[in-house]
Amino acid sequence: MIVVFFIFLVSSYLLFNAIPGNAFSNLLLNPNLPPDAYEKVLQTYGLDKPLFERVQLYVVNFFKGDFGYSYKYYPQTPIELIAERLPRTLMLFSVVNIISFYTGFFVGKVLAWRRGTKSETWITVTSVFSYTVFYPWFALMMLWFFGYKLGWFPIGKFLYPEKWYDAPFDSDIIFAMMIKFVVVISILQFIAYTVSRGIEALSIRRNIRFTSLVLIFIGSYFYWNTGEALARKPYAADIAYHMILPVLVVTIVAFAGTALLTRTTMMEVLKEDYILTARAKGISQKRIRDRHAARTALLPVVTSFIFTIVTIIDGSVLTEQIFSWPGMGQLLLQSVLNEDIPVAMAAFSFVGVFALLAHLIADISYSYLDPRIRIKSQG
Amino acid sequence: MTKDILVVDNLNMHYETLEGNVMAVNNVTFTVKEGESFGLVGESGCGKSSVASTLLQLQSENAIISSGSIKLDNQELVGMSESDLRKVRWNDISIVFQGAMNAWNPVIKIGEQIREAIREHHPNNTKKENTEKISELFKIVGLDDSIMDRYPHELSGGMKQRAIISLALSCDPKIVIADEPTTALDVVIQDQILNEIKKVQKLLGLSLIYISHDIAVIAEMTDNMAVMYAGSIVEKGPTASIFSNPRHAYTKLLLESTPSVVGEKKKLRALDGEPPSLINGLKGCSFSPRCPDPTDACKKGSLEMKLIEIESAHWADQCCVNCG
Repeated sequence: MIVVFFIFLVSSYLLFNAIPGNAFSNLLLNPNLPPDAYEKVLQTYGLDKPLFERVQLYVVNFFKGDFGYSYKYYPQTPIELIAERLPRTLMLFSVVNIISFYTGFFVGKVLAWRRGTKSETWITVTSVFSYTVFYPWFALMMLWFFGYKLGWFPIGKFLYPEKWYDAPFDSDIIFAMMIKFVVVISILQFIAYTVSRGIEALSIRRNIRFTSLVLIFIGSYFYWNTGEALARKPYAADIAYHMILPVLVVTIVAFAGTALLTRTTMMEVLKEDYILTARAKGISQKRIRDRHAARTALLPVVTSFIFTIVTIIDGSVLTEQIFSWPGMGQLLLQSVLNEDIPVAMAAFSFVGVFALLAHLIADISYSYLDPRIRIKSQG
Repeated sequence: MTKDILVVDNLNMHYETLEGNVMAVNNVTFTVKEGESFGLVGESGCGKSSVASTLLQLQSENAIISSGSIKLDNQELVGMSESDLRKVRWNDISIVFQGAMNAWNPVIKIGEQIREAIREHHPNNTKKENTEKISELFKIVGLDDSIMDRYPHELSGGMKQRAIISLALSCDPKIVIADEPTTALDVVIQDQILNEIKKVQKLLGLSLIYISHDIAVIAEMTDNMAVMYAGSIVEKGPTASIFSNPRHAYTKLLLESTPSVVGEKKKLRALDGEPPSLINGLKGCSFSPRCPDPTDACKKGSLEMKLIEIESAHWADQCCVNCG
C-alpha cells in the first residue's frame, strides 16, 4: 500500500508537470503574484532544480504537510482551503452513502426474495435504468423538474446567502456540528444493536431496539431545542433543505448498483443448503432473508460499495458543479481551471489518500464480515 | 402396541418442469412407529429425498402434492399453513440433510445456529438454559463444548456431521429424518457417525427415518424398510424379512450387487440399463425394462403397480410377486 501511495504521488506530480505550457514556470511570470511569494514559490518547489530533485522535494514536502500556497487565494494554503471545503463534501456524501447503501441493500434483498413477481421485474428495470443513465443529464433533469418546474427545492447554492449575512458563525461550524450529530446517532444506534444481540428472547430484543430508536429521536429533539444548538437550528435547517435534492439525485444513481448486485448474490445464496436447513428449523421467512441470506450475501456487496464510495467522491466534481455545492469537487475543478497547481495537487492527493483508505477499510471489513477470511489472515 | 408416529398415505408428488411433469413420488404409503427406525433405500433419483422434503413440507416451489396425506402424530401436514408448519418443523420433525458440509451457514457460529432453532421454539428460555441444552447434546454426540464458539469451516467433516445431529435433536423432535447423512464422509467416519445415530436413537427413544442408497447401511440401521424404484415403493417390510426373502426383482438385484462379508464369494451383479425418466409418469411395472426375466404381462405393462402383502407386514409389487 505504501508502494502504491508513492507511485501515486510521483505520477501525480509528473502529470501536473506535463501540463502544456508548464504551469509551474508560467505562474512565476504571473504579474499578479506578489514579489515575496515569488521567492517562496521558487524555494518550496525547487523550480530552478532538475526534475528528479523537484519530485524528491515534492514528496518530502508532502510528508511535512507543506503544499505551498494557493496562487489564487495567495495567503491561504491548500490545506486551509481543503479544511474549509471538506466538511461540506463529507456531509453531503456521507448522507448519500448511508442512504444509498441501505436502500440499495434493502431493495436488492427484497428483489431476490420476491423473484418472479411483477413488482420485482419493474423495480429491476427501474434500477437498471438509474444504474446506466447518463448522470449529468439526469441531474439536470431533476434540477429542472424539482427546482424549476415544481419549485420545491432551491436551484444551486448550498444555503441562502441572505439568511447568513448576520449569522454569528461560519457555515463550516454548522457543517461540523451536523456531521458530529449524524456520527453520534449512528454510534448510539450501533451500541443499542450490539447490546441487544446478547439477549436470548427475540421479543425483548426487538423491544429494546425499538425503544432505543425512540429514545434517540427524543434525545435529538431535545438536543436541537436547547442552548447553542437552538440558535444554530435555523441555519442547519437551511443547509439540510439545500441538501435534499443533491442527496436524492446521487442516491438514485448510486443505490441501483448496490441493489442489483445484492439481488444477484442473494439469489445465489438462496440456493444454498443452509437456507433449506434454516427453513427446516422453522425460522420465519423474514429472519431467513435477513439473517441467513442477506448476511452471507453482504460480503461482495460491501466490497463493491466501498469502491463505489471512491467513485462517488470522484464524481463529486460533477455533482458539486451541477448543484453549485462548494465542496472538494468544485475546489479541484476550479483550481485546475485556474492553473492553481498547489491546490489542485493537494486536492488530488487527498482524493488519492481517500481511495487508498477506502481499500484498507474494505480489507478490514472483509475479515469482520467473513470469518473464513479472518482465519486465513491469522495463519 | 406402539403407536404410529408418522403415517404417509398414498402420497403423490410431481415437479412441474418445462418438459412436463416429473412424477417423483407415486402412491407412496408407509408407517413409522414410535421408537422405530425405518429405512428408505433406492438408487439416485428414485425419489427418496423428494419423500424426505415432503415430510417437512420443504419441497421446492415447483413441487406439487397432487394427492395423499402425511399425518404426523395425527396432525395432517399436507395443506397446513406456513405459520403452523413452522411450529411443527424441528419441534416435532427434524432432518439431517444430505451433505452436512453445506448445511451450516458459514458466517454464523455453530452454537448460535443451534441456539437459533431452540429460540424459535422455546422463546422464553434464557441464554444459560440454551447453552446447557446444547452442551448436553454435544456430550451425547461426542463433541467438546468449545465447538459452540467455532465457525463451520473450522470443523472437520465428521465434527460438522456430529454437530448437525445435535442440531437435529435440539428441540426434542418426535421423529428425525436422516437423508444420506454419511454421503460426504470417508468410510471410517461413516461408521462412527452411524454408531452415533444408533446410540442416540436408542438413548432418546426416537423414531428415525433413514434414507440411503446403501442397502448394507440400511440393514445395519433399521427395523423396517422400504425399497423405492422410480418414485414408487416396490417392496417394504421388516428389514430381516426383506433381506432373507426378497421378492421384488429389483430388491434381489440390489442385494446381489452388494458384497457380503460372511457369505460365499461370488461375482457381484451389476444392474444393466438406466433408471427410467419420470417425465409424464410410467405405465405398468416401472422396472420391467430392466428386469432380468420379465413376463409377457410385465412387458405389455398391463399390470398396475400395486403392493400386495405376501407375508405378515411384508409387501411387494404384485407384478414381481406374480412372476415368481
